[in-house]
Amino acid sequence: MSVLRPMDKLPDLNRATVLLVSTEDALLQQLADAMLREDCASELRVHLAKSLPLPSNVNRPRVDLIVFVINLHSKYSLQNVEESLQHVDSSFFLGKVCFLVTGAGRESHCSIHRNTVVKLAHTYRCSLLFCDLEVEGFRATMAQRLVRMLQICAGHVPGVSALNLPSLLRSSEGTLLEEL
Amino acid sequence: MNMSVNDQGLDSDSTMDVEVVIDTEEELIKECEEMWKDMEECQNKLSLIGTETLTNSNAQLSLLIMQVKCLTAELSQWHKKTAEITPLTEDVLVTLGKEEFQKLRHDLEMVLSTIQSKNEKLKEDLEREQQWLHEQQQIMETLQELHSELKNQVVTFSESRIFNELKAKMLSIKEFKEKLLIALGEFLEDHFPLPDGNVKKKRKNIQESTAQLITLHEILEILINRMFDVPHDPYVKISNSFWPPYVELLLRNGIALRNPEDPTQIRLEAFHQ
Repeated sequence: MSVLRPMDKLPDLNRATVLLVSTEDALLQQLADAMLREDCASELRVHLAKSLPLPSNVNRPRVDLIVFVINLHSKYSLQNVEESLQHVDSSFFLGKVCFLVTGAGRESHCSIHRNTVVKLAHTYRCSLLFCDLEVEGFRATMAQRLVRMLQICAGHVPGVSALNLPSLLRSSEGTLLEEL
Repeated sequence: MNMSVNDQGLDSDSTMDVEVVIDTEEELIKECEEMWKDMEECQNKLSLIGTETLTNSNAQLSLLIMQVKCLTAELSQWHKKTAEITPLTEDVLVTLGKEEFQKLRHDLEMVLSTIQSKNEKLKEDLEREQQWLHEQQQIMETLQELHSELKNQVVTFSESRIFNELKAKMLSIKEFKEKLLIALGEFLEDHFPLPDGNVKKKRKNIQESTAQLITLHEILEILINRMFDVPHDPYVKISNSFWPPYVELLLRNGIALRNPEDPTQIRLEAFHQ
């Protein structure tokens, strides 16, 4: 299928699937490993993809959370993500999509401005997370956050639904942009 | 209309202990099956809805509208939903009770071990402090003994007494010195007389044609006095009144030494240095 839909299949019992999309293969692999190392009551599945649309011949479970990883050092990663966004069903954006930005630490290497990504996240009403994925400590913390988010998106946390996520994860930057 | 399915939360209750009576388990399984049927119905309805993708321009507006709809739906769902408690049958209560007790026991065990180790540490500290105290007490006792001993030995300090003691010492030394000199004089008279057999009277240097010879005793006196009067130049010129054989005797036996710069001068060997 060319467009990814959130509720196209029945969920597997106690299973949560996350899809990490990025051109940065190495970082993605490390993030996936960090996430799988986390202690979690639900069974985790991590799928990696360079871009969307995904090949349709593979039988995969329904995706609970999509994380688009953008590297501020490379314009290509942003372009790739923007193109992939065309292949995501609109109902996914109600909290089941998240943008993860890496490389903000080294200002001199950044070819994309932070505000570009902030605007992108704002347009699609999604949560935006910043993390330097190359540092192991930060990576592990971010993996923990993503696992919790994934559990919520898969419905494994009673009382919190994916709809609440964007408002819960709103940072002060988001509000600033709204005032502009 | 999209809705998030929150009912999966009750799935965790389906894993129960085997000891539980079958009734409760069957009931729960029945509930779960009903929920699953509901889900399948919803899924069927969902699959009928078409897909929609977004572009940057229409994304915000359409998403906001969707969000409003979904949140309102979720809100109404929350209002409708009454909290369902798991039927508190005896088995459930027993299991829950057991769990609570396990937790309590675990916590208490942790507290116990912490307190025990603290106790051990305190015991060790106490022992150490006691030993230290014991040592300090011993030191104190020894010092006190020393103190009392020293106190007894202290005699009242009196200047005049010391002065008198020194005077007495000096007197006794002077006496001894006199005795020694007398003994020396007698010895020299007996064994080293003057050649003509006459004992020359002391202190009367009568200058006659040939200088009068002085006794060995007098030579020695001259040498000794010179030695102590002028320590940096203890040399005495050999005069004609010295009987040459006696001078030779003194020199040969190391009692007197010639002046290396002037052979007519001799001095006493510094036996006291």
